[in-house]
Amino acid sequence: MTVAEGADDDELIAMLRQSIERYTAEHYTFERRWAALKNPRAYSEQAWSDYGRFGWLALRLPQESGGVAAGVRTTAPLMEAVGARLLLEPILASAIVGTGLILRRASTDQKAQLLPKLADGTLKVAFAHQETLNAFSEDAISSEYRGGAVHGSKVAVLHADCADRLIVSARKRDVGGTVSLYIVDAVARGLRRQRFRLLDGRGAANLSFDGVEAEPLNASGAIDADQAAIAAALEEAIVASCSEALGAIRALNAATNQYLKSRKQFGRPIGANQALQHRMVEMHLLEQEVRALTLAAQRALSELEVGRTRIISGARAFTCSAARRIAAEAVQMHGGIGVSDELDVSHYYRRLMVLGTLFGNRECHFGRFAATCEAIGH
Amino acid sequence: MSLEQWQRAERLRVEIQEFCRSGMPSDILRKSSRHLMLNKDEYVRWMRALQSRGWAVGHWPREHGGMDWSALERFVFEDELARAGCPWVIPFGVKYVGPVIYTFGTEPQKRRFLPPIAATDQWWAQGYSEPGAGSDLAALRTAAELHGDHYIVNGQKCWTTYAQWADWMFCLVRTARDERVQNGISFLLIDLRSPGVTIRPVRTMDLCHHVNEVWLDNVRVPVENRVGEEGAGWKLAKFLLANERTYGAGVGEAWFALARLKTLAADMSCGGARLISNSGFHRRIDELELRVLALEALSYQALADMTSGAESSAEASMLKLRASEVYQDLIETTVDALGYAGIAYDPGTLHGEGPPPLGPDDAGGILRYHLYNRAATIYGGSSEIQRNIIAKSALGLQP
Repeated sequence: MTVAEGADDDELIAMLRQSIERYTAEHYTFERRWAALKNPRAYSEQAWSDYGRFGWLALRLPQESGGVAAGVRTTAPLMEAVGARLLLEPILASAIVGTGLILRRASTDQKAQLLPKLADGTLKVAFAHQETLNAFSEDAISSEYRGGAVHGSKVAVLHADCADRLIVSARKRDVGGTVSLYIVDAVARGLRRQRFRLLDGRGAANLSFDGVEAEPLNASGAIDADQAAIAAALEEAIVASCSEALGAIRALNAATNQYLKSRKQFGRPIGANQALQHRMVEMHLLEQEVRALTLAAQRALSELEVGRTRIISGARAFTCSAARRIAAEAVQMHGGIGVSDELDVSHYYRRLMVLGTLFGNRECHFGRFAATCEAIGH
Repeated sequence: MSLEQWQRAERLRVEIQEFCRSGMPSDILRKSSRHLMLNKDEYVRWMRALQSRGWAVGHWPREHGGMDWSALERFVFEDELARAGCPWVIPFGVKYVGPVIYTFGTEPQKRRFLPPIAATDQWWAQGYSEPGAGSDLAALRTAAELHGDHYIVNGQKCWTTYAQWADWMFCLVRTARDERVQNGISFLLIDLRSPGVTIRPVRTMDLCHHVNEVWLDNVRVPVENRVGEEGAGWKLAKFLLANERTYGAGVGEAWFALARLKTLAADMSCGGARLISNSGFHRRIDELELRVLALEALSYQALADMTSGAESSAEASMLKLRASEVYQDLIETTVDALGYAGIAYDPGTLHGEGPPPLGPDDAGGILRYHLYNRAATIYGGSSEIQRNIIAKSALGLQP
């Protein structure tokens, strides 16, 4: 199941899709996932080390670090599986966002030290960036780096509960307050971690930095290179979360459609009711639109310079609305059992709620999209 | 409605407002207004606080200990309590089975059951839904066979709210097979301490324990615990469902949620400003307020129709639909307003012991209620069933 070297991205994507599907169907059943949810670490350590062994955490890494050096699109099948199988492991936080920042901004020495461990999963990182509860717009960063240490606080950092290292955004006082990136040991002195679970069972933490020793990510570059790397990593995160939502939506629609065919009331399948058929059709259309927009956003990541925001935030805003509608309809059409925690429908519902807020909610991305629309009138 | 009826209802409204300010146990109000989980003792204290003024059974006839409230007074009672953020009035005894017993029960049944129901000395559960009988309630299969002076009951009920606390369950059972499935259903009162009763908790999507499966395995129920004639249970079930759909609480709850949404939008920050200054979000709130206004107007219209005898069977369905849907949108918008606090969830804090991981101290409760409230368009007749009723009875459309 290990990722083959030398394959092109399309071939690789097809192979990955197959092997991830095979692995999760066998080893990440709903029952196994229960055990992972009950684990105090809130994920399956076995699954995480398997992902490392198969090379799924190293898709984007250079070959000398044990990676596959594949394009950003190859993470899509993985993220779709995260949504479809409701995986709990820190794939998005560590293998996509954290790794993306290190690839962009770590020095050669730092890379040599970090990348091999990220590749096999023995190192997990999280990106500590968000500072307020606001999901409606981008907020200014007020954490500071001074005297070799970080001061400030971060909220709801995905998988900061289990990360070994944290990549922290903070303003560098001595260069006019530019936002830069630092790497911090998660058990460093002066760092307080308040761990908790998100609605979907994944771990997160609030962090407070009281003069925590930090090392700059110090690849050479322009003064705002870190800021640009953050923007690029967040774009990747947004597209990855679209893929994750797509995976969840596809699984949920399949479950609802199946239920319409099998659940009988008044002597016939409930799916014989035209009112329900039309609602199911609407959910199916939304899924197709989300899929098309997500593909467009993936292409925009690697190919588009102009108009990236329009496609990426547009895809994100559309996906948030579609996910909300589909999740609500899935619960409603399943009836009582849809509200129970014993069926996966409610787990998808909660996962999609989390995805609707992480990295900015619908309003946030709709606003960004709207700003790219041509002005009306003269 | 007559002037006198209005005046009586307004006097009641003032009394209830006064009660919410000073008579209401403040520890309970603190929890309920934050949508936290109340325990049984707290609910019992709440119901008894209401009954200390006769209100828990205010809608019962005077001869059975009630206050003969008009529909309007009943509306005002539920509306005012919900508006103040009080807990829901536990309906299973006082609202559901009590009226069935005083309307259809025997004299000994009335003497035996009505006083402890009014006083909340007994906790009741509702044994209606089954795995194969949800929207299609008449498809229920729990069977009761008469052997001498006892029924032997076998079957399974589900989504039974608070069965874990209940002493008794009123239950629809099949006592005969008939081509018309509504025939052959009977209404039994089952002592849940009887041998053969097993209660299994079912966690809902808010990760809390409200509902249960109730398994009945050769449970013996004395024939004197049947209410109404054998086979006449469907009539009683429909009578009870009509009582289930009263609508004061829906209106009051909506106003309470709207008020909280507004304070939250004024408190939460958004990119250096307040969330309320985000024009898109502000508009969402205003749109919701208009829908709440329409719900309230429709409710008063239904009350007027009821008093003048012009009530249609579609009205209760319309109000149930509108109240549950507008509430779901209100609380979903409130979760949105919480931003990142709307995705952090620690069920351990929902009983009031500690603050949620993020956000204001009601953030966890708002999230919990948002999740649990997805069921509001499913229980008590799903939105699909309500729309079928309206299509048929108001519009004459046949499937």
